[in-house]
Amino acid sequence: MSLFDRLSEKSQLEIETAKEVGTKVVGLYCTFAPKELVRAVGAIPVGLCGKDQTPIRDAETILPANLCPLIKSSYGYAITNTCPYFYLSDFLIGETTCDGKKKMFELLGQLKPLFLMHLPPCCDENRSLNYWVGEVIRLKDFLERQTGTKIGEEELSRQIKIHNKKRVLLKEIVGYCANYPVPISGTDMMVVMESRNFLVDIEGYINNLQRLARELQAIKREGRSVCSPDAPRILLTGCPVGKGSEKVLRIIEECGGVVVCQEHCTGIKSFNLLVDEDDAPYKAIAHRYLKTPCSCMTPNQGRIELLCQLIEDFKIQGVVDLTWQCCHTYNVESYLIKTFLEKRYQIPLLHLETDYSESDTGQLKTRIEALLEMFH
Amino acid sequence: MNEKYEKMWEDLGLDISAHDGLLKVLGQFYGDIYLSQDKRLKGMEYLDFVLSEVHGLRIKELQDARAAGKKIIGTFCMFVPEELICAANSTAVGLCAGAEIGKEAAEKILPRNTCALIKSFVGFKLAKLCPYVESCDLVIGETTCDGKKKAYEIFQEYVPMHIMELPQMKGACDRDLYMTEVLKFKAKIEEVSGHDITADNLKEAIKLINNRRKALQRLNQLRKAIPTPISGRDVLLINQISFYDDPWRFTAKINELCDELEKRVQAGEGIVENDIPRLMMSGCPMAVPNWKLPYVVESSGAVIVGEESCIGTRNTRDLVDETGETMEKMINALVDRYMRIDCACFTPNPERLEHIVEMAKDLKVNGVIHYALQFCHPYTIEAYKVEKALEQENIPLLRIETDYSMEDIEQLKTRVEAFVEMVK
Ligand code: SF4
Ligand code: SF4
Repeated sequence: MSLFDRLSEKSQLEIETAKEVGTKVVGLYCTFAPKELVRAVGAIPVGLCGKDQTPIRDAETILPANLCPLIKSSYGYAITNTCPYFYLSDFLIGETTCDGKKKMFELLGQLKPLFLMHLPPCCDENRSLNYWVGEVIRLKDFLERQTGTKIGEEELSRQIKIHNKKRVLLKEIVGYCANYPVPISGTDMMVVMESRNFLVDIEGYINNLQRLARELQAIKREGRSVCSPDAPRILLTGCPVGKGSEKVLRIIEECGGVVVCQEHCTGIKSFNLLVDEDDAPYKAIAHRYLKTPCSCMTPNQGRIELLCQLIEDFKIQGVVDLTWQCCHTYNVESYLIKTFLEKRYQIPLLHLETDYSESDTGQLKTRIEALLEMFH
Repeated sequence: MNEKYEKMWEDLGLDISAHDGLLKVLGQFYGDIYLSQDKRLKGMEYLDFVLSEVHGLRIKELQDARAAGKKIIGTFCMFVPEELICAANSTAVGLCAGAEIGKEAAEKILPRNTCALIKSFVGFKLAKLCPYVESCDLVIGETTCDGKKKAYEIFQEYVPMHIMELPQMKGACDRDLYMTEVLKFKAKIEEVSGHDITADNLKEAIKLINNRRKALQRLNQLRKAIPTPISGRDVLLINQISFYDDPWRFTAKINELCDELEKRVQAGEGIVENDIPRLMMSGCPMAVPNWKLPYVVESSGAVIVGEESCIGTRNTRDLVDETGETMEKMINALVDRYMRIDCACFTPNPERLEHIVEMAKDLKVNGVIHYALQFCHPYTIEAYKVEKALEQENIPLLRIETDYSMEDIEQLKTRVEAFVEMVK
């Protein structure tokens, strides 16, 4: 695990050095932006999605208070210029996922050049694939213009392969929690998964993942576990969680549960699908990203399917569905998820709606404890 | 009207006692907000009548039409081309709802912090309050905002639906996407109605709906006069009724009302003094019986002279080109017209800012009230840009965020009065 400690600080220095030789840095806000393309023009993609409470107050001077904390935090970082990665970004990529982000990007685009990908609201291939391929190509043109680098076929397929490799490794790593012993806590797993959002050297990261995989394998062989055999096995799903916004994850584990699986955007949702290496590259990329089971899609059958698979593979006993306040898409979808899962698996689902502040920690704790008690 | 229609409501499956409750509130509101006005136009009697029969006679007409084989198509959004519905010998009815009464039922399946309009139409269905939705053979949803898009996934379990995918930008590929959706919609309507849409009947339908828009445009032209000849409340009601009433009758009646208005304007008569502050509303739609804010404004010493909203000029500004003779030309004309809609769901949406400024100047308003339903992200966020655009023209803006409850009415009054005082 030590390989992943303070990775963010190390990356910052590396990015600064890379920028000195003219490498471009591209700020991303969402899983839908194809990183393969960004890498293929030699640029460094960094995740700018706001996970911290601090800049929200400033954001609220312009944005409505009734907005998801992730959007307010992202925008707040930008206007106060307090996020080093935002500062280092040469330009930004946004997409029309949810209303809040879509409209926030209009304002964000006044601060730095922003390319907005138009994500169709239906992930049905017949309806949307051609359109989305068009958007991917538009992004390619934009990236080429911004960096002055043409994307070669060879480089693109190399990037596709590297990114697939990373995904396969991440899948392997999270897979070590599929049964007891559990070699790594959910909180640590989050750090591992999130660190892919600010890498200069993706190959180095892959090496680190390989070493971690071996380490976890060894721990498992020795039968060591971060929790007792009867710790309730929890699946965390819903809105994205990361450093600064991990309070629910933390509380679950503090209260004796173990988060063996995370389906949200920092987690499995963003790496369980691979790009088809045999298909035409742009179409293959478009196809893979369109299938991301995000609640901004209607209908979002993919999420139900993924959740079912994870519940079975990870022997899940309880589901925590986290919604950031005022995130309409996840919030509305929680009703469908809850009714479906409870009927199919008879396992409890706890839906939590909260924000980044610590003001409701006590209340969250009570509710999470009540959930965990059901398994004793 | 209750006894007369009770059987019909029962047959439609309404919850009679809850529905009585709704009608009572509606009647009381209407009395307080509408019938109490001074110097009302005679032509408004038609609207009083339609409104008093909105769940009675109009529903009976729809039932009779159904019995004769017509289909009733419910819609929520002005992106659904009504022309195609009319051309297929069917009737379109608006299902957006403006009352709080079904809220509790809605909150069982929707988050509390969903926009009131969405909760209201879902609540109306769950609490069995709306004879319109019960009369529908098909309901059309669209992927406008997150709240609606996701709520339809649940709503679909209660009513037969067809969802149109809408673009969120206005490039060439977006127009293609919308075109595909319009063609799919056309096929769906043909299937449900059992009527082919032909060049002939579509041409007629385009004219019919254009004529309704023209009547409303005429009304908006006339009301610009100083002193103001008709209240903003009344014009809002007219716009609201346009989503329910028979389009032929509605157009004829509004033109009659305009004739009367014309005389009033020529005689220089108004409903308020010349120097009363003129305000414009801009933002989210106000569906029946959501008259709260206009009432607050017009009882705070101001008059409303324009509504930039879906239930307002956004719906009536653009006509469909009538010169096309072939199906292809007409469908293209429809797509062109509908792609011009300046809804905040689009990104970016500069046309709306231009229209607001243009309208504010044209109407010589003293200020604009930006009205957003709580939790409506597209409009609450865009309000910032609206404010900036108006600032450049030195037109003051008051941002209001509210819902359908009456709890904040005193607070709204205080804020509106202060604003009116300031713009005087
Ligand atoms: S959590 Fe929801 S509202 Fe927030 S950015 Fe993601 S999709 Fe949008
Ligand atoms: S008012 Fe806003 S949130 Fe409500 S239905 Fe309309 S666009 Fe959606």
